[in-house]
Order: sequence, then C-alpha cells, then structure tokens
Amino acid sequence: MSSPGTDRPAIAADAPEFVRLGRTLLQSTEIGLAIIDAESRVPLLINRRLEEWLGDTDFDAAMASVPGLDWASLGATMGEGETRQAELELKVKRRAAAIALRVSGQTFGGRRFLVVEANNVSKLKELEYMMESYAKMLERNERELRREKERAERLLLNIMPRRVFEEIKAIGVSTPQRFDECSVLMLDFVGFTEMSVAQDPSALIAELNDLFTAFDRIVEQFGCERIKTIGDAYMAVSGVPDPAADHAANIARSALRMVRYLERRNQGQSSQWRCRIGINSGPVIGSIVGAQKFLYDIFGPGVNLAARLEAHSGPMEITLCETMVPLLQSEFLLEEREEAELRGFGKRRLYRLRGETSGPR
Amino acid sequence: MAALFDELGGFAAVSRIVSDFYDRVLDSDILAPYFDDVDMRRLVDHQTKFIASMLGGPASYSNEALRQIHARLNIDRAAFDAMKEQLGASLLAHGVSPRDVTNVIADIEARAGYVITRN
Ligand code: HEM
Repeated sequence: MSSPGTDRPAIAADAPEFVRLGRTLLQSTEIGLAIIDAESRVPLLINRRLEEWLGDTDFDAAMASVPGLDWASLGATMGEGETRQAELELKVKRRAAAIALRVSGQTFGGRRFLVVEANNVSKLKELEYMMESYAKMLERNERELRREKERAERLLLNIMPRRVFEEIKAIGVSTPQRFDECSVLMLDFVGFTEMSVAQDPSALIAELNDLFTAFDRIVEQFGCERIKTIGDAYMAVSGVPDPAADHAANIARSALRMVRYLERRNQGQSSQWRCRIGINSGPVIGSIVGAQKFLYDIFGPGVNLAARLEAHSGPMEITLCETMVPLLQSEFLLEEREEAELRGFGKRRLYRLRGETSGPR
Repeated sequence: MAALFDELGGFAAVSRIVSDFYDRVLDSDILAPYFDDVDMRRLVDHQTKFIASMLGGPASYSNEALRQIHARLNIDRAAFDAMKEQLGASLLAHGVSPRDVTNVIADIEARAGYVITRN
C-alpha cells in the first residue's frame, strides 16, 4: 500500500490549537477522507476511517478500479470546485461494503489537491437490494396469480353464463331466477350405446367433444346458451339469463342447424350420428346449483316438457308441441303430428319442425 | 405459517430482520466463506428470499428448486445448522415469540435434505 503515513502534511508544532483540533476531527469522523496531491497523485492524508475500510487494499488501486471515475487522469483534468461522484465496492472485514465517493478539486497556496470524501452506504444499499428482491418476488407472485385467475375465469365461463359469472364476481352470490319468456332445446343421440365408436371410450369422447363444440358454436351464433351436456345429451336455452325477444325462433334455428350439421358430417363417415331433439317454450328457473361444485343449471316445467318432446322424436327429427306453435308458425314450416300423452303434462298435440319458410331448406 | 410474515408487520418489519440476519451470516466464520464470491446484491437477494420463504412471505420454493439451487454449493451439516441458529437468533432479537421461532426452525430443518450436499 502506498500508505502515506497519515501525517504527511507536517503541522508546525506551534500551530494554533484549532488546527490540531481539526486534524483530530478529520481522523475520528464517520466520513472517510483523503487529500491527494493532484500533480503527483501522492496521498497527503488518508484518515483512519478510510484506512479501516481499505484494509489491505491500496488506495490508488482501489480508486483506479472505480468504474466511470477515470482516476488516473483526474489529477490533470479536474479544476477548482469541480466534483465527481462514484461508487466503490470494497470488502471490509471480508464483507462487501458499498462506499459512495465524492471527489472535488481544491486549490490551496498555489497547489492543486484532490479531496476524496467517502461514505459507507452499505446499509442503504442493502436496503435497496432488499427492496429490489422483494419487489421482484411480489411481481412474480402477481403474475402467477393473474395467470391463475384467468385460468379459473375461463373454467367458470365454461359452466355458467357470463352474466351469472359477473354477478357472482360482483356480489359473491347469484340468486335463482324465474324466466317466463324462454325456450329450451334438448338433444340426445339415437342408438348411442350401440354405435361401434362406443366401444372405444377415448375415441367416443373425442367425437362427442367435437360434436358438442360444433353445437356450442351454433347455439352461440343464434343467441342461445349451452347449459350442459350429460353423457350424450345436450341442452341449450334462449332467453336465460339474458332476455331474448326471439327465443323460440333462436332455439328452432339452432335445432335445424344441428340436424343439418349432423347430416353433412355423416356423409362418407363410418359412424353415423343421429339425434333426436325436443324444443319447447315455457317457464324455467335458472340457478347456480351445488355448494362445492358450481354449475349453472335450469329446471322447471319448460325443461321437463322439452325432455318429453325429445323422447317423442324420431331420428334426426325436431319435435315441439302447441306451446311453441304461435311463436314459430309465421317463420317456420311445422308439420302437425298425433296427440300424445306426456307424463306430467297430459295430452299434447305434437308438431315436427321441418325448416324455415324462407332461407335454406 | 403464511401469517407470520404479515403478523410481524410485512416487509417493513421483516427488512430489519433480514438486515440483522445478513450481518450475523457475514460475521459467522462458518457461513461467510459460502458467500465470499457472491456480490452484495445477490447475497441480500438470498437473505431476503430465504427469510420471506421461511416466514410465509411472498416467496416459496419447492424442495426440488432448493436442491437445484444449492446442488453445487457444498453445504455441510455444520453450515446448515449455523444458518438455522443465526436465523433463530435474529428472529428472537426482533421479538418473534419462541414458539414461532421453534416452528420456523423446524420448517428449515425439514428442508435439510435438499440443501446439504456434503457429509
Ligand atoms: C432452507 C434453507 C434455505 C433456503 C430456503 C435457501 C434459499 C435460497 C434461494 C431461494 C436461493 C436462490 C437465490 C436466487 O438466485 O434467486 C439460494 C441461493 C444460495 N444459497 Fe440458499 N437457502 C437455504 C439454505 C442455505 C444455506 C444453509 C446456505 C449456506 C450455508 C445457503 C447458501 C446459498 C448460496 C451460496 C446461494 C447462491 C447465491 C448466489 O450465488 O446467488 N443457502 N438459497
């Protein structure tokens, strides 16, 4: 170490008291201090604090290692009153310490000096790094949380209409609600259990998945909601939970499109999917059911009648009864069928939905 | 466990424990050498994550993650115990109840197998 001996600038023995006091203060302050001859770069004073921080490290070498300070040329370039700030990382008693440096140019008695003030800002740095680390942890957690939330939302939207979902999100519950103006569609497949594909469960699931995805797209297109699928059965509604003036027509159109979709799909396929559909207009209750497992479901006479009508459908037929006739007869082709005894509903006149009066078919 | 970090007053309070723990680790002849070549930023990062994860703060590491992180660090039983001990001392010095400290220490001990790689 080019240690200057701390008493290089000799002080006359008869120097005034305050000069000697100043010297003592320089030595004992918490601030590290060095005074360097600007021409020769020889340190004239390095106070005790700074020496302590430097330990075995050579002052000149330490200063030269400070990034961005350009210590070697400072002596020549720095003018009176100019200052530079920089940071030095040192090992103080084998631990990393952050030292903030302030170098200033001073002229005294025609000689130029560099004055280096050093502050140990380790605790400050430590806190800064700690906050950095902590902030990053929070950010990461938040990112993960957001991703998790989005995933959960997507799942929930699969099992309940958006409006019900928003209601639960906003107030925590969704109350059961009665809907009088709505129509229900019930579909299932004919001879489902005898189909050859039923022997291979994973192929079966893949096909059903495919079909129901297509149905989802159809009902969505006509302003209906898919309520649920149970096995090979599919249930959709219009007018729940959002009111729809054309609920009957929406459901009738969806039913026709589903049949048409299956007809097209069956062409040239080994597995022939043939559905029966019952449609009905009538009151239902819409509600989230299940305490642990949420499911938005509808029930009530409107639903039950649709199910009975479905059972009276032949393959690829859409069946309805007189409740829907006034709602559909102006726009749809309806074919009158026999009267049938429907459990819980008495004698009903059945109709077959054949198509629309205008448009395809 | 999740509560202790918040119970103590969140980051503001825990930062004092981290700072104290940092000093203790670097004063320890057993522990300091492990961090000799680690710069201050990363060392603080370690102490912050270590404490946050052990107090149920906003960090948690799977056992597998811990194993991978420490796989090449040659940590032995003595160093692991020293770390435990220093954290315990830090927590006690900052008013954490002895019962909670015991729980935290037990949680750390449960991870020993994933951090210690040298007999
Ligand atoms: C259950 C106890 C411990 C936990 C939860 C823990 C946690 C961590 C974490 C999260 C990191 C990665 C920091 C990052 O880069 O993101 C890490 C790194 C490290 N840990 Fe631990 N640690 C534990 C015990 C120890 C012990 C006992 C030692 C040494 C005696 C130790 C020494 C180190 C070192 C040297 C690093 C690498 C630091 C670096 O290079 O960045 N750890 N630890």
